Amino acid sequence: MTRYAMVADLRRCVGCQACTASCKEANGTPPGVQWRRVVDIEVGEYPDVKRVFVPTGCQHCADPPCMHVCPSTATRQRADGIVTIDYDLCIGCGYCAVACPYEARYKVDTASFAFGDEPSACEEVRHDPKKIGVATKCTFCVDRIDAGRAKGLVPGVDPDATPVCVNTCISGALAFGDIEDPDSNVSRLVRENKSFRMHEEVGTSPGFYYLWDKETP
Amino acid sequence: MSKAATGTAGETKSVPTLCYNCVAGPDFMRVVVEDGVATRVEPNHTAADIHPGRGRPCVRAYGLIQKTYNPHRVLQPMKRTNPKKGRDEYPGFVPISWDEALDTIAARMNEIRAKGLLDEAGLPRVAASFGHGGTPRSYMGSFPAFMASWGPIDFSFGSGQGVKCTHSEHLYGEYWHRAFTVSPDTVLTRFIVSFGSNYEVTGGVCAVRRHADARIRGVKRVQIEPHMSATAACSAEWVPIKPKTDAAFMMAMIHVMLHEVPRGSLDLPFLRDRTSSPYLVGPNGYYLRDADSGKPLVWDENSGRAVAHDTPGIRPALEGNFTVPVAVSHLADQEVMRHENAAARPAFVATVEDMKKYSPEWASEICGVPPAVIRRVANEYVENACVGQTIEIEGRTLPFRPVAVLLGKTVNNGWGAFECCWSRTVLATLVGALEVPGGTLGTTVRLNKGHDNRLVSVVPGEDGFMVSSLNPTSTADWKAKPTGRNAHRTLVPIVGNSAWSQALGPAHLPWLFMEKSPEEWPKQRAPELWITFRTNPAVAFWDADKLTRAIARMPFVVAIAYTFDETNHMADILLPDAADLESTQVVPIGGTKFVEQFWEHQGVALRQKAVEPMGEARDFTWISTELARRTGLIEKYNAAINRGAIGSSLKGANYDFSLPTDQVHDADTIWDAVCKASTAALTDGKEVKDLAWMKENGYFVVPFKRADWYLYPSLADQNLRFELPYQERLMRVGEELKRRLHSQNIHWWDEQLSEYQALPEWHDVPGRWVKAVKAQGLNPDDYPLWGITTKTMIYSAGNNSGVPLMHEVGQNIRGHGGIIMNANTAARLGIEQDDWIEVRSIVDTTRGHAVLVQGCQPDTIVIPGQHEHWKTPFAKDLNFPSLNTVTQMSMELTDATGSGADVVRVSVRKVDGPKERRSA
Repeated sequence: MTRYAMVADLRRCVGCQACTASCKEANGTPPGVQWRRVVDIEVGEYPDVKRVFVPTGCQHCADPPCMHVCPSTATRQRADGIVTIDYDLCIGCGYCAVACPYEARYKVDTASFAFGDEPSACEEVRHDPKKIGVATKCTFCVDRIDAGRAKGLVPGVDPDATPVCVNTCISGALAFGDIEDPDSNVSRLVRENKSFRMHEEVGTSPGFYYLWDKETP
Repeated sequence: MSKAATGTAGETKSVPTLCYNCVAGPDFMRVVVEDGVATRVEPNHTAADIHPGRGRPCVRAYGLIQKTYNPHRVLQPMKRTNPKKGRDEYPGFVPISWDEALDTIAARMNEIRAKGLLDEAGLPRVAASFGHGGTPRSYMGSFPAFMASWGPIDFSFGSGQGVKCTHSEHLYGEYWHRAFTVSPDTVLTRFIVSFGSNYEVTGGVCAVRRHADARIRGVKRVQIEPHMSATAACSAEWVPIKPKTDAAFMMAMIHVMLHEVPRGSLDLPFLRDRTSSPYLVGPNGYYLRDADSGKPLVWDENSGRAVAHDTPGIRPALEGNFTVPVAVSHLADQEVMRHENAAARPAFVATVEDMKKYSPEWASEICGVPPAVIRRVANEYVENACVGQTIEIEGRTLPFRPVAVLLGKTVNNGWGAFECCWSRTVLATLVGALEVPGGTLGTTVRLNKGHDNRLVSVVPGEDGFMVSSLNPTSTADWKAKPTGRNAHRTLVPIVGNSAWSQALGPAHLPWLFMEKSPEEWPKQRAPELWITFRTNPAVAFWDADKLTRAIARMPFVVAIAYTFDETNHMADILLPDAADLESTQVVPIGGTKFVEQFWEHQGVALRQKAVEPMGEARDFTWISTELARRTGLIEKYNAAINRGAIGSSLKGANYDFSLPTDQVHDADTIWDAVCKASTAALTDGKEVKDLAWMKENGYFVVPFKRADWYLYPSLADQNLRFELPYQERLMRVGEELKRRLHSQNIHWWDEQLSEYQALPEWHDVPGRWVKAVKAQGLNPDDYPLWGITTKTMIYSAGNNSGVPLMHEVGQNIRGHGGIIMNANTAARLGIEQDDWIEVRSIVDTTRGHAVLVQGCQPDTIVIPGQHEHWKTPFAKDLNFPSLNTVTQMSMELTDATGSGADVVRVSVRKVDGPKERRSA
């Protein structure tokens, strides 16, 4: 079996938001919608302070709460673990957005554009009316994965089969691949380092791993 | 909708090009174009193996799509109809044709040429200002050839870069080790002490990737700075420090290394053989020299006598006190003093004795860092230096010293920067970590020749050091009469006189002098024509309101305009240039360049037209050619291109792609020749790639030797020494400069002259800003906090402040558009998260949302970026604060190199909302 997963190495991430920006461009998301974003978190008290940058978005959970609450079956899970939304089926009720522990879902009801009411030339090309009034979220760039695989490419290895945020990441913090394949990059990273998954305690079994330290031998 | 470029229906292509919007570039990228419309930016993965950043651009590149289709762009030439200028004057811009715009400019320029290129004061009648660290050059096409064909142009008027950039480090760094910019050898280093160097934000993609790899490898970086930047967040340790006290910390580290750790922990052979440490210093502070040859003397431990430093077979002493029977010293103005039985001590001893008073306990009182922390950092630095170890690089055995010290902006410019730059370099020197694998490296030169490989600038000069091209301070050659309005040749010897030097002079003085110049100074008139490109000093410089008033005094301004902005609000002509994705230019890549752009390849890349220009925007090369044609300079202009004014010389030993000088060439013809010549030059004529090939492939590279990252081998091969730690020459130059200035009855530069010291003495650096408050008759207690600034990657420079995507993603970064302050300090002042607060200095006020954090010195507030726009579309509606609005621009806060710093004493109070908007 294949299960696609994302790895974010918190030792590497510098919070630059290049992934956020490239995701927005690649997916044509409107202002304010960030399927991928990096959260800037501070803990501690002066002068003992830590600040950490945490890339986040849809965790493509093995047991996704969003799917369970979806009344129209628009949200589904593929055999490779990617959680999808069928915009033709979505009724825009927003239950999924409430159910998601990761605040990863968005819904906009009217078209909006970067510079106001009128789309730019680029936005006119990229605007997808299907995304209005429905839930949207990170797709792991599923179209790229499918198109790449159709050409014999390997997600997480070949850029043309890999999510845009991973391709973009300038620090090498983001990695992608098949977590069920023990030889994949993501499996190796998780095996060789300490890792955690966000809100694991709620039982969602996210497909998104965070590395934060080397495994002590 | 906006007028889009036309393209083939249904066609999608990915166009290789580059981004050079900050000094840490250029970096590769591709632009996806669908039906003639640029829709997204993506990395150029084909370059992953040659580019240290793996072919990926940073976040700003993703803003270039919106930048292209920004509906607020100026898309046709315009002229001003309101002769009055000022922030509150409506300029009344009206569209005109390109012919009218260019003819108007050409007429003005021809009139100037007829009068003479220099005015009555000997200053150029034409001036030009460009923004961020020279990067506009990669977007101005063939304009450098036009400027070369024109003749003298005054680049004196600063636009925010230069004097408020890493200025003192540019000058001293290049002087000491050809380090216009400084970097750790991140690939190999193990321990980095960074004083506010915000590498993870401004170091570019090469730095971010290398440092991330280094962290995984186990490198330890200690980040010492007043507020916890992204770089501190990614460091092993953050040490908060009071602003402008970094030199005290570093001098205390030197103290520990010279007075507490065993002497054998230092790299004594390096100090003895590759530095001036053994040079004997006489009682007057000058080197004792051989009476016949004039060469500095060292004490030879083999023979027990003083001999010239380059005498074969000697073993110079680093320590001891000696008596030299006969010697001379070279004082200012070629005065020679004869010494008999002079007491002598090696420069190393002078340094040891001088640093004795700077203990960690002493420094702690100044910088607020516990002595134990300073001592620990110093000891860790020494322990990680691996003194005695070697490494083989490309077959050559070199010292391996994996420790580095970095300085950030505001640390390495303005008062105190000399002490910081000296300390940083001496820290490297003491353990032999200067310009060797793992250590502290310079990565490019700008005041010397060799922009793509600084090693060519390592040429023997005086006293066993590399040659230095200081501006003369002798009676005969000193330029009493400034040749540019910032007087770089008159006031700043160390800045030299290269093509870059003028822009690195005291670039705020022309603005100050437009308002009021010192009485003993040649009267300066504003330039009759001022050209601006990719610069916005009205926002980007200190005391923004004063700057704006000064700009309004410019009689005729030609602004290459992207949108309306605060500076071109005062323009007479606006020229819309084709933007980043709409124009063509060949750009050098690789080799050793700014920041961490040192590669194992070098070559050229094409910034190419991915989409047709919007509206009537024109490629800058076309604009330049037309200006040359209309000013009768086409032959000189073409000749300048042939000489290499916009890239490689078009004629080399094995090739000749020279353009006929008597013809008008289109942009593609020019860049085709540059592509061919550049690739031929890289391969001794063996490979020639034309413009069509470059459009398809994007770049062309050849290997660059990794050993050429390091300066040490070049010095060792020529038996040269780093001019460290003792600064005898600068002491002499300072004395000469003092005499020259005083001979003209100029005393307003006396404080700056105090910086010319053989060894730095701590002076109350932060106290200078307190004194500046007192000097205005105000009570320093009313301004109890420090105001400083920081950058975020999205806005590294401000030229994308009008791009909504940058603002949107910037909101994920703390402090974006706000004022960062310590939460406990805020509580004391009754300020809560997101409250509107006002920052007041003796200059002005600025307002923004309070962003309360723990990671900030209690006595410091931080205003990220440089905003407070009042004209730039989109940005002006954000109501962002700016430290520039409240920062003083003054002579008293100018150091000897001519730089100041982004720091100011302020008070903070809660207010109801943003400032009332003034009209624009």
